[in-house]
Formats: sequence, structure tokens, C-alpha cells
Amino acid sequence: MSEEHKQPLQSSLRVQELVYGLRISEVMTSKVFAVSRNCTMRDVQTIMKNNSITGVPVVDNKRVVGIVTMNDLMNALEQGAMEHNVTKWMVGEVQTLAEDMPLSFAISAFGKFSFRQFPVVNKKNELTGILTFRNINHALIRELSRQLREMEQKNEQPEEPESLKFSKVYQLNRYDFENGGKASSEIKKFLKERGVPPKLVRRVAVASYELEINLVAHSIGGMLGFDINENRVKISSHDRGPGIADTEKALTQGYSTANEWIRSQGFGAGMGLPNVKRVSDEFAIESALGMGTMVQAIINLKPETENENK
Amino acid sequence: MELQRIAHALDAEFICGPDDWEKINIETVFASDLMSDVLMSDRDELLLITSLSTEQSIRSAGIVGSEAIVIANNKTVTEGMIELAQDQDVALFCTSHPKYEACVRLGRIMEP
Repeated sequence: MSEEHKQPLQSSLRVQELVYGLRISEVMTSKVFAVSRNCTMRDVQTIMKNNSITGVPVVDNKRVVGIVTMNDLMNALEQGAMEHNVTKWMVGEVQTLAEDMPLSFAISAFGKFSFRQFPVVNKKNELTGILTFRNINHALIRELSRQLREMEQKNEQPEEPESLKFSKVYQLNRYDFENGGKASSEIKKFLKERGVPPKLVRRVAVASYELEINLVAHSIGGMLGFDINENRVKISSHDRGPGIADTEKALTQGYSTANEWIRSQGFGAGMGLPNVKRVSDEFAIESALGMGTMVQAIINLKPETENENK
Repeated sequence: MELQRIAHALDAEFICGPDDWEKINIETVFASDLMSDVLMSDRDELLLITSLSTEQSIRSAGIVGSEAIVIANNKTVTEGMIELAQDQDVALFCTSHPKYEACVRLGRIMEP
């Protein structure tokens, strides 16, 4: 019975993890309706009406300088100011999202701000799309169907007990040191039982344990996903915030923002992330203040020469 | 060096561990209360000496593949720590000697 209860949680976590693995650029609407500074509120009204949208960014040379929402439009309408320039009514300081951010950051942004849409910009800060909750819902449904299809296919072919194929997502809560480490222990056992060399098992265990401790000690909560096949172990950690101001600094040995309590638990020496990087073959980190942090660590299970020979 | 000899030198009390713990071979000793440091080590056949008596100490020891852990300074060992040590297959001891004292004693018997 308890297994039945656990099952939906695990699959929903896996879907979340998949969605978190997406980039904003893969989910946003690329066809954006924008206006320039010299357009009127009437122009915005027409665009909104014809395209059934609720927010129109104002751009100047592709850069977002403001956004006019349904709310602004109603205010202008009330004041009989529909022929006014958009600059008079738009919201000037716009929260934008970068297109290569993980989707999890966007989800945090929707939680943090009350906006219904976020203009999306590229590295040059040019408007490339717009992200609404509807985009996220679509992505979620798409990933859910894909996941279901995969699960159905998996059911048709029973797994070999010796197989190294494994994927699981663990949820971790803030300051829950008691459970921080369970995932690592489980993964360690799984690899050990399948005869993976102890040195590799140790590297995987260290990376995942450091990430678990990071999630419970520094984030407001998040998840740790494992995707294992015979070639490699992929560990990905996503949290909901608070985000790291300077990831470069966070990767410097000895740099730490840990409080006394975390230190009393034997951690917080500023060696967690550098240590994950040390034991990983591939390492990537992405973070934004207020939105969260994503870390991905890959540990190859086969020497590279062997891979090349295949 | 056999774990039995180490336990004797430390006047350590055996709390739990594998059946044949006496014969476990220990090559290196790591003494720290900072688990971050423990996780950075890459030595084998390891014994961890710590005065940080928490479940995280046991976890960290297990993660780096320690064979045994000695809780120094007469610290209380909790039920949760014992369960975890059994689960991780790590031999667990405690000693009334402070950490430094324990290290000195081990240093003496390990000298060639």
C-alpha cells in the first residue's frame, strides 16, 4: 500500500525534474507582439484584442524598456487616455528572464512576482520571446505525456536485475539534516551491488552527498535527481532559492555563507561545490538570485578510451 | 594494522560493527570535526576520529568508504547514529580520550 502511495510522488517528481531540465527558450512563445515607444495605448489595445494577449512589451532597438499590461490599459481607458503614448502608462522597470535559464527559475519568478508574463531576452539583452504560465502548463503536459509513454514502454520490457539503468528523484527540505544523505546512501548501495569500482562509487557518493547537504543547508528546498546508465551517472540538483549571487565565488574553496548552526553540523567550510567539481568529470552550475540554483554533475563509469573504442 | 589493536590502544568501547571487525585492516587515520574536510579526502582503508557526535559524521564516514569511526571525548552516541552505522557497514566506537590524545596514542603504535 505504501508503495502505491509513493509511486505517484516519484513520478510527479520526475516530471518536475524533467521540466526543470528544460530551458526557457524551449518553452516560451517566440512570436512576440511588441510596440515601440512612440505607439499609443490604442495600438496596444488593438494588439491585445486581435491576439488575445494580456501584456505587450515596449521595446527600443530590441531592448525591453517597459511593458503594458491589461491593468495599465484599463487605467488609461478609465482616464480617457487611449491616445497617450505608451511610455506614460507602461511599467518601466521590467523583470525579464534570460532565455538560457532553466525553466525552474521562471517558475520561481512566477511565485515571487505577481506578473502574468515575463519578457525573455538573449545574452545581448534583446527581446526574443515571452513566457506565460500557459507556456509552462503546455511544457508540463508535453513532458508528462513523454514520461508516461516511456513508463509504458518500460513496463513492456521487464528490467534486468543487474542493469545499471536507474533514475530517481529525491525531494529535500530546508534544514532537514536527518534526511540529507539518504539519497546518496541509496545510490552508493545501488552502484556497489552492481560491481561498480569502489573509487567511482565514492566519487558519485561524495558529489551527491555534498549536493544533498547544500540543498538542506543553503536552499529553501529542492530536489536531487539521478539518471544512471552503464556509461555514466548524472546527478542534477535544483532548488527553489535563494540563489547564488556569484557562482564563481561559490566555487572558490573556503568561501561560505553558512551560518553557525550549519557549521555546528560539521559543514559550511566553503568546500562543498568545489568538492563536487573535483570528483566530477563534467560540472555545470547556474544560479540567479531569488530564483534558484541548478547544478549538474556527471561521473563517467567507463574510461574514455573504452568509450572511444565502442 | 588490525582494527582490534587500534581499539585497544584507544581504550575504545565497541558499539556496533561487522562480525569480523577485529580483523579489519586500517591503513590511514583521518581526524577531523569538519565533515567537509572528511569528504575531500581520497584515502583508502580509513579510520575516522571525530568529536562531532552526529548522524552526519556517520554518513560522511560511510560516503568516503571509511571502515570505522571513533567518537572521541566521551560524547554520547545516539540510537540514530548506531542504526546508521549498521546500515552503512561502518564499525562504530567511542572513547573517553580527547581527539588529540587519541591521535597521539595511534601515532605511537603506528610508527614503524
